[in-house]
Amino acid sequence: MTDCGCDKAKAELEEYLHNELARDDARDIREHMAGCADCSSEFHVNVVMTETVKRACKEAAPEDLRLQVLTKLRDLQSTHESA
Amino acid sequence: MAVVCTPDAPSVAELELALMSTSDGVSPVPSLDAVEKPDLRALFEEQALPFMDQLYAAGMRMTRNPADASDLVQETYVKAFAAFSQFTQGTNLKAWLYRILTNTFINTYRKKQRDPYQGTIDELEDWQMGGATSATLSTTSRSAEAEAIDHLPDSAVKDALQKVPEDFRLAVYLADVEGFSYQEIADIMKTPVGTVMSRLHRGRRLLRELLGDYARERGIAVPAPSGAGRTTSKGSKK
Repeated sequence: MTDCGCDKAKAELEEYLHNELARDDARDIREHMAGCADCSSEFHVNVVMTETVKRACKEAAPEDLRLQVLTKLRDLQSTHESA
Repeated sequence: MAVVCTPDAPSVAELELALMSTSDGVSPVPSLDAVEKPDLRALFEEQALPFMDQLYAAGMRMTRNPADASDLVQETYVKAFAAFSQFTQGTNLKAWLYRILTNTFINTYRKKQRDPYQGTIDELEDWQMGGATSATLSTTSRSAEAEAIDHLPDSAVKDALQKVPEDFRLAVYLADVEGFSYQEIADIMKTPVGTVMSRLHRGRRLLRELLGDYARERGIAVPAPSGAGRTTSKGSKK
């Protein structure tokens, strides 16, 4: 089930996940994973973790903050202009 | 994978058109100065404000509380606006804003927090760090792990993230949540790309272990990765 592509795939999995590999290297990993349940399950955990973190970190800025920033920018501009 | 909504920067021609159309159509070719002064703020608001939710979310993960996150974001916008005339249109505004955010955080908020890890964490060896080594896990236990992680509540995920040492957490956040490239993260954090990769790797490994711990505490069967290293993950267990 495992072939000699596992070491390379495991070593480069994270870069593959983050789209940091050159096209040829990415293709090697993809092809290896297509035939290797071990590496593809490892990759799957990594993908799920990334998606989970992304989902959990969503926030909306409070409406107050938006107003504060807008007011601040306008104040800044008027002090710049009067200077 | 990490697709984030980066609004396409409008071309200079579009900007000029937009600027001209706001000037009541009286002077079709205003001098550059006349355009720049009043409309720099409008341009800034149009381009930079859409990133507020994202910057606030990052600020929350940095400062850990809404009041400090709000202050941090406000300070970031003030600094960014002051420097906006030096920003090159067409380059990556989001990365530029994150650089200011990160800088501001490091220079003001981090000093207050006194993270005991600071300065030494990059030098720790892997075996000192702990973290999951999944080499020994089977395919079925990995799918159980993925399933468990997927079902964790957001609060548990945020808690786990907070336990990851700051520099690692930041690298993970910038890569996984924001989808920045390694080079962009290196620019934002002012470290070499190699350091970014090592922080990311270690941060993700720790996070994976912490998420597994949470799942197990909630009674979800996630096989603990066997192998050395788990005894030294200080502070990760309650």
